[in-house]
Amino acid sequence: MTMITSKVCIVGDFAVGKTSVVERFVNNQFSEKYLTTIGVKVDTKEIDLPHSGVQLKLILWDVAGSDQFGETEFAYLRGASGHIFVADGTRPATLGTVQKLGVRIDERYGRKPSVLLINKHDLSDAWDVTEQIIEELKTDFDALFLTSAKTGADVENALTRLAELIIDQTLADQQ
Amino acid sequence: MTDLDKLKDLLFGAEKQVLDSISERVESRELRSADVADILPEAIRTSHRNGRDLGDALREPVGECLQQAIRDDPKTYSDALYPVMGPAIRKSIMHALRTFTQQINEAVEQSLTPKGLQWRLQAWRAGVPFGDFVMQKTLLYRVEQAYLISRENGLLVGHAQHEVARIKDSDAVSAMFTAIQDFVKESFSPDRTGRLETADMGEFTLWAVHGPHALLVCVIRGVPPRSLRTELSAILERIHFRYGDAIRIYSGETATVPDVEEELAACLRLEAKQQEAASQKRVSLPLLAILLLIAGAIGYFLVSAWLQGQKLDQLTAALENTPGLYVTDVRMDGQRFLVRGMRDPLAPTVAAVAAANGLTDDEIAADMQAFHSLDPTLIAERAALRFGSPDGISFVVEDSRLIVSGPASADWQNEVMASYNALSGIESVEFRMTPEEQAAVARVVELRGLAEDVRQLNGRAFFFASGAILTEKSARELNEMTSQLNTTAAALAKFGKGLSVSVTGFADPVGGVEVNSAIAMRRAEAIAAVLVDQGWGGTIVTLESPLNETDSPIIDPGMRRAVVELQSIDLETTQ
Repeated sequence: MTMITSKVCIVGDFAVGKTSVVERFVNNQFSEKYLTTIGVKVDTKEIDLPHSGVQLKLILWDVAGSDQFGETEFAYLRGASGHIFVADGTRPATLGTVQKLGVRIDERYGRKPSVLLINKHDLSDAWDVTEQIIEELKTDFDALFLTSAKTGADVENALTRLAELIIDQTLADQQ
Repeated sequence: MTDLDKLKDLLFGAEKQVLDSISERVESRELRSADVADILPEAIRTSHRNGRDLGDALREPVGECLQQAIRDDPKTYSDALYPVMGPAIRKSIMHALRTFTQQINEAVEQSLTPKGLQWRLQAWRAGVPFGDFVMQKTLLYRVEQAYLISRENGLLVGHAQHEVARIKDSDAVSAMFTAIQDFVKESFSPDRTGRLETADMGEFTLWAVHGPHALLVCVIRGVPPRSLRTELSAILERIHFRYGDAIRIYSGETATVPDVEEELAACLRLEAKQQEAASQKRVSLPLLAILLLIAGAIGYFLVSAWLQGQKLDQLTAALENTPGLYVTDVRMDGQRFLVRGMRDPLAPTVAAVAAANGLTDDEIAADMQAFHSLDPTLIAERAALRFGSPDGISFVVEDSRLIVSGPASADWQNEVMASYNALSGIESVEFRMTPEEQAAVARVVELRGLAEDVRQLNGRAFFFASGAILTEKSARELNEMTSQLNTTAAALAKFGKGLSVSVTGFADPVGGVEVNSAIAMRRAEAIAAVLVDQGWGGTIVTLESPLNETDSPIIDPGMRRAVVELQSIDLETTQ
């Protein structure tokens, strides 16, 4: 089985649950203090993709949330093979943020595989996101998942999907 | 147009136009250049994607072109490279200076210690600069981990770690280091050209060496020498030489950079070990000899100094305990002792005191002023010199009192009492005699009286009227003298002494020698007879005065005499 390592950045607005999503998915390697000191923390997660014959190790860069993504934050995104955008279903504004971020990142580093996680699905009663908006967002990202870091719903599916997209892209690049 | 040509037009009209067009393009240099220029960029990209052939083919001609261009127009290229060369040169110089400074510091620190001297000898024997040798010996460090990290995406290209190193996830560490470096660069380097090269973490030092496509990050335990960075740079250069392209496009597939761990493992071999305990304990013979010599010299110096100190103390004590010597200073003056102070003429010399303490004349020098000591011993000695020392007399001074012990006669005592005031330090005199000494003094006085008596009796002359008949006066005087003689002889006998008596008779020259000799003898015998008659029991020797024929025959009554002579004798010697 081929071993591949890929850098994946998790971005999104403040308090949308990025770190919670990661914690659901991985075993922490570094303290969250890094998020408040240098604005990023790194975790890893290995995923087997039998149909591709690949074992993918995701290096997950949890970038601190910020309304204004600065140069430092953008520098953290350099070299990423894929992106995980996280928004808060109870705060529609966060969806706009990830849309704009997606555009800026694509402009700067080129189009990469990406998935959007609209989080806090456990609070779906309080959501203010229409189906129409969701459908529109699906065109901006390679995949969209309604997740709950609290219950774990669809978190692993989302990241596994991203892993598959990354491998597909990598294999395509090699060819 | 021939028929054949017409036929060709009919059969291949369209193809012929194409062929003509192709032929025209091929023959036209201008068109051909335009075609090549049109497809050249895409052709290069395609060739580069397909393999290294294009790069291999261009390497040599492009290199030659560059060399020629630089030779022809160096200014243009130097201007273009200036922004790069300046920082590069400055960095190289700073690195060299830092390394040099560290070498100097360590060399100076080590140069004066015993180990430093030993290393200096070993460096000389090995032909290695001393600074380098010190570096090898002093800096203890070990590269425990080496990370090769892609500069493009921060992914870990390769990792090697020492067996003792513990790490959970090298990919996460690599990513986190990249993040920290990005943070530092973005936060503290205004032009974003700064790079994180060193970080200290307790006993660990983290060094990052930057290459064009990757950076080599090493976790080092201990204190690495500056020269280690040069070695790490060489390893990184070698990795770039071998895997440069693969690293440049590295996207996480480790198989694309095979065996890079072997190169990284070279980093782990960079270490300076603590010398083995056994070798530390092993001391080289020359060093041991030098140490022994130094220890011996120090020991000799210390012992000599101690012995000199002992001698000094001993001499000082001896001088201070010697009456009549007053020492103000005793010190070492080169190889001899120099003594300063005062000395009573009656006191022993400094040299004498020094000799009594085992010092030779060469070891002592004295600068002494004369003075009169009031030490009782010296006062007593001075008194003995002044008054003399009769048999059995001794002097002692106690509390300014001169105590004279022994059989001192009254006359001598009077003499002492008359003049003791002339001696400083004496306020009174006391004579001390035992009863035996008092008796001895009395005996001497009595003997002296008897001797005077004998002296007065000795040589008495008694005159004769005629023949052997004494004049009346002489007869009377002889009786008195005989009485005194018996008394004196009796007194002398108590002291074991006696008197020998000799009587010499004289005659005048009238009558002839023979007759007169007989008369002289009779006169002596007459006197002896009187002595015996009156009780003298001792020996009497009678003699006649010799007469000469030439004596003039003059009648002289003074010649008709006999003389009694006395001589004191020891009775025991006469027996």
